[in-house]
Amino acid sequence: MIELEGVRKAFDSKEVLAGVTGRIERGEIFAVIGPSGAGKSTLLRLIDLLDTPTGGAIRVRGTDIHAETERSLSIRRMMGMVFQKPAVFNTTVAENIAVGLRFRRAREAAIREKVEEALEMVGLAGYEERRARTLSGGEMQRVALARAMVIEPAILLMDEPTANLDPVSVATIEDLVVRINRDLGTTILFSTHDMYQGQRLAHRIGVLMNGVFAQVGTPREVFTIPASRDVARFVGIENIVDGVVVGENGNAVVVAGGVRIRAAALPGPGERVSLCIRSEDIRIAPADAAMAAPGRNALPGTVASIVPRGPFSRVTVDCGFALSSVLAWKVVDDLGIREGSRVRVSFAPESVHAVQQE
Amino acid sequence: MVRRTLFAVAAVMVALLFICGCTGTTTDPVPDEKQQLRIATTTSLYDTKLLDHLTPIFEEQYNAEVLIISAGTGKALEYGQRGDVDVMMVHDRAREDTFLADGYGTNRRVFAYNYFVLVGPESDPAGVANMTPEAAFTAIREKGTAGDANVTFVSRGDASGTHSKEQAIWKAAGFNYTTEVKGSGDWYQEAGTGMGATLEMANEKEAYTLSDIGTYLAYKGDLDLVTIVDEGDILLNVYSAMQINPEKFPDINSTVAKDWVNFVISDDIQKEIASFGVDKYGQPLFYAAGDDWEKIGVTEAEVKDPIA
Amino acid sequence: MYEIVEGFLEAARLIVTLDADVMAIALRSITISLTATVLAGLVAVPLGAAIYFGTFPGRKSLINLIQTLYSLPTVVVGLLIFLFISRVGPFGFMRLLFTPTAMVIAQTVLVLPIMTGLTISALSGVDPVIRDTLRSLGATHLQFLANVMKEARFAILAAVAVGFGRAISEVGAAILVGGNIMASSFASSTRVLTTAISLETSMGNISESIALGILLLLIALAVNLVITTVQHR
Repeated sequence: MIELEGVRKAFDSKEVLAGVTGRIERGEIFAVIGPSGAGKSTLLRLIDLLDTPTGGAIRVRGTDIHAETERSLSIRRMMGMVFQKPAVFNTTVAENIAVGLRFRRAREAAIREKVEEALEMVGLAGYEERRARTLSGGEMQRVALARAMVIEPAILLMDEPTANLDPVSVATIEDLVVRINRDLGTTILFSTHDMYQGQRLAHRIGVLMNGVFAQVGTPREVFTIPASRDVARFVGIENIVDGVVVGENGNAVVVAGGVRIRAAALPGPGERVSLCIRSEDIRIAPADAAMAAPGRNALPGTVASIVPRGPFSRVTVDCGFALSSVLAWKVVDDLGIREGSRVRVSFAPESVHAVQQE
Repeated sequence: MVRRTLFAVAAVMVALLFICGCTGTTTDPVPDEKQQLRIATTTSLYDTKLLDHLTPIFEEQYNAEVLIISAGTGKALEYGQRGDVDVMMVHDRAREDTFLADGYGTNRRVFAYNYFVLVGPESDPAGVANMTPEAAFTAIREKGTAGDANVTFVSRGDASGTHSKEQAIWKAAGFNYTTEVKGSGDWYQEAGTGMGATLEMANEKEAYTLSDIGTYLAYKGDLDLVTIVDEGDILLNVYSAMQINPEKFPDINSTVAKDWVNFVISDDIQKEIASFGVDKYGQPLFYAAGDDWEKIGVTEAEVKDPIA
Repeated sequence: MYEIVEGFLEAARLIVTLDADVMAIALRSITISLTATVLAGLVAVPLGAAIYFGTFPGRKSLINLIQTLYSLPTVVVGLLIFLFISRVGPFGFMRLLFTPTAMVIAQTVLVLPIMTGLTISALSGVDPVIRDTLRSLGATHLQFLANVMKEARFAILAAVAVGFGRAISEVGAAILVGGNIMASSFASSTRVLTTAISLETSMGNISESIALGILLLLIALAVNLVITTVQHR
């Protein structure tokens, strides 16, 4: 549906997008995630023809949208966009939603019917004659969504649509996004700095970092096998350990901080890698407990800190490098550990994901 | 880019067309057939309401509409010189003569006269009561320049007829107006405004000022100023009306202008002028020029002969 | 003190009894200034929009110039118009001097800069997200312009109202090109509230001045009320 090929955008001399390449398939929900200032908004604005790229091409249904200036209006009219800041026109709710239809010279009866349907969809039925400016932020954003959807776009672009909203409004909008995609088959491209939102809604995620897609994949891929150290850190992997691959008895092992770690898959000896280990894959046992299952990495260490985190505690162990795990309070009590306790940390080689350092 | 610029240009042009169209439709201020007569007048004739008294009579007799622009003689002369009015009513012989000689005006007729008076606070701080005008002016200047804070003179300072007369008195008293009077100290202040406003100002400042008797009497009720000096040939104040020369400004309304000048020297109106204000002030504000032409030093023709 | 109290009482009487002269002057003020405001608005709003949306060299300097002209002294405008329409001036043949039309022209010129400038400000005040939203909804160029202006309508209305306020309260130009004439017909007279206040005060008629001043204030108040009502609708 949308092909991005080496898309570049510079403002003055500052390059925001440095060659973004990727594909958004028809009918999918695609999330662009990345830290603030990564260029997510810029990318969406380029797709909606609100800005012109300084390089590369964006193709929608095979058409280079920035090359076809004659057709830019009809191309833009295939898309709807919702912006981060809830903004409504200073008129009634119904007139707000009708704007796009009026631009397309729809008949009055059709407008009324569609506006009503759209309001029904976003749960604001009966709000037709309300002054849009008097609505809450969440309601305004729903109006904005209805306004973008009433023109039945093939592509819906949403730029951090829930960034300024309260949790209840966020849930409502997220629910709408899923329903619109499921019921109407609309291709949805949205940006967010909330990686969990990306995970909740998207079929696929593109991680935008330093002006390029650092990784594109399903949420599972992005969260379990991040393509780089930066992605790993951004998707919330707590344990990232740097080391060097060495060959040992025909098995690849990484030496980090003087400690040997086995991993399921590794590049050749001599490569510098970062090992990503999700904290939920790490077990902690007393130092004198029975040995873990054979083949597991088992590292002795000292508890460095126990920090409460909701109903859990985050236990950090110094094994020559810091590794942390998240344990239920009861488990911590049962283990009888506290800061300074000697423990043994264990995790399966399959839980270790190695990324090459650049 | 080009389209935007074109749009901008088009918007401006449409707007300009609009304004031209609109002002075009509003340029006709007289819906009826009445002829308009524009008179630039010295303030004294207006502030005393003499003209308010005379114009309805004229308007009825001649089916005309009189528009009066009240300004000092200087400004009135300027309007006349630019052809912005049809008739001028002023009181400054010397400058009138120049105006006529330059061909801007024609057919001057003298229709009224009265006297200037030196008015001031009742206490008369300069002690000039009943002196000759020249002597009074000299004494006021002397006290003023000596730094007597109680002695102030407010001048019209607006190139009006009254201002001309004041300058003539300074000259007759032996002073160079520009160097020895104007700017010679805080005692001499220029109001730069009409007779009425100048009287108000002199009243506030408890100062002396030169006024025509008509305006002074009309304002007397609101003022604490009293007459200090009212006798002396130099205080004579002669009012005349003249047409703006149609040879200079061909589209001037010369017929109605002629009618007006003849109207103010007509016997009936001369009587109106002579009696104007008597009921209210107990004395006339103006004297009819009618039979006093010798007394005021003009020719009989200038007061009696209607314009042909 | 006595003068002020008495002035106010007499003023109240003149207003309550709808004194014919005072009402005629007030009505004339409104007519002339409203006409000037409408004319200026018809130029200033499209002109402001053209400057705001346009891209042409010198645009920034033009906006600066317009803002400088906000404080254009009224007597300077009066003098300029006087020189143009005086009989010996280039438009003297139209015989406009000392007519209400001349006052309309002077006031139109006087308020054009501020109305144009405030229209530009009004349009600049429209949220950039609103503009992006309009484009993203597929507006054509004209639809875009129309809707941005629609979004700024209250601020533009306020710009027009400011212009009316400046027009009706100015005295310098009115007296120079109008001449403060009180003729027997309404349409030939050029005496308006401000010039009348100036004259009546100089003639010592304080109560008339106060009455006229109160009317001037009432008109300003009414204009503000209308705007606030419209804005809160």
